[in-house]
Amino acid sequence: MRIALYITIAVSLFFTSCSNEPTLQKYFVENSEKKNFIVLDVAPSIINVDETKLSADQKIALASFDNMNVLAFKLDKNNKAEFETESKKIKEILKGKEYQELMKYGSGKDAASISFVGDENNIKEFVLFGKKEENGFAVVRITGKDMNPNNIMNIISILKSSNINMEQLKPLQALMK
Amino acid sequence: MNMNNQKIEFLKNKKLEIMKKVILSLVLVLSTSTFFAQSVFDKFDGQDDIATVIVNKKMFSLLSKMEVKDKETQQYVNLIKKLDNLKVFVTSSDKKADEMKAVSEKYIKTSALEELMRINDKGKSVKIFVKSGSTESQIKELMMFVEGGSKDESVLMSLTGDFDLNELSILTDKMNLPGGAELKKASKTKTTK
Repeated sequence: MRIALYITIAVSLFFTSCSNEPTLQKYFVENSEKKNFIVLDVAPSIINVDETKLSADQKIALASFDNMNVLAFKLDKNNKAEFETESKKIKEILKGKEYQELMKYGSGKDAASISFVGDENNIKEFVLFGKKEENGFAVVRITGKDMNPNNIMNIISILKSSNINMEQLKPLQALMK
Repeated sequence: MNMNNQKIEFLKNKKLEIMKKVILSLVLVLSTSTFFAQSVFDKFDGQDDIATVIVNKKMFSLLSKMEVKDKETQQYVNLIKKLDNLKVFVTSSDKKADEMKAVSEKYIKTSALEELMRINDKGKSVKIFVKSGSTESQIKELMMFVEGGSKDESVLMSLTGDFDLNELSILTDKMNLPGGAELKKASKTKTTK
């Protein structure tokens, strides 16, 4: 009986802690429908490569990579205030315990950072954040299982030899204009 | 007899208590000083007119987990393992440069950094300070301040970890750190000493 009680307490704690902390995933969901935002899901198929030509290591690396989600905010004359509050919100989320910052760059106007979720040998999620005063900001989530530095290096080596399917990235072009 | 025993016991307890207090206060002082060391430059982060690059320990430990085959990169990875934090602040505003200078000078005094070398060249001055570890060339912290004068940018760089000064030249070769050439000279002078 007692054990059951402990478990329920633990589980309820787990859930409350989950629902209290704002996560990027939630943020993505909440804002994907709003105007000013551009959402993009990129499937691994973007890496247009002949799998038979990959080495064993490269195959493992490719399998560790699940999905890439991009959420971008396009800045124009009318949404400056919203841009400020939204980019602040994301910065706050990234300050959360779950997100471990790897490195960041910042000047007064522009900023960029790389964080990850999980531990060093088993990275569940990479988060890239970039902000530019003239264009807007973008958050990129790269999710997977068991991503590690070697897998990332291997992915990069795959990317070099592949012809990336640019069709999937089309919506982002609006941001660059 | 009994009284004496009690007295001794009491004194022993008192001694223990004092010891505990000393240790506790030592811990407090040490922890605050490391806390201080982290935050002293952090105020420059996110300011207008200052460009910041911060690389955290996690990044270094992730990088060091990579499998490498060639020897040169292996050396590089070995060094990276020993690094904790890299912070670089760059500004072209005179006011911010003065502020950085003041903060770094204060920091040098409070945390007892030694001057490793100083170069003056055409109105540009480079100063490198280190905090030595167990041996002479073992470094716990390296701080560099480049005063650009009115023309050039000023750079404040802080690198912490536990590394050998001689290894640093590998880093400056691989990464494009500001003042890399000066650092290379610094590591050479220290070895010939």
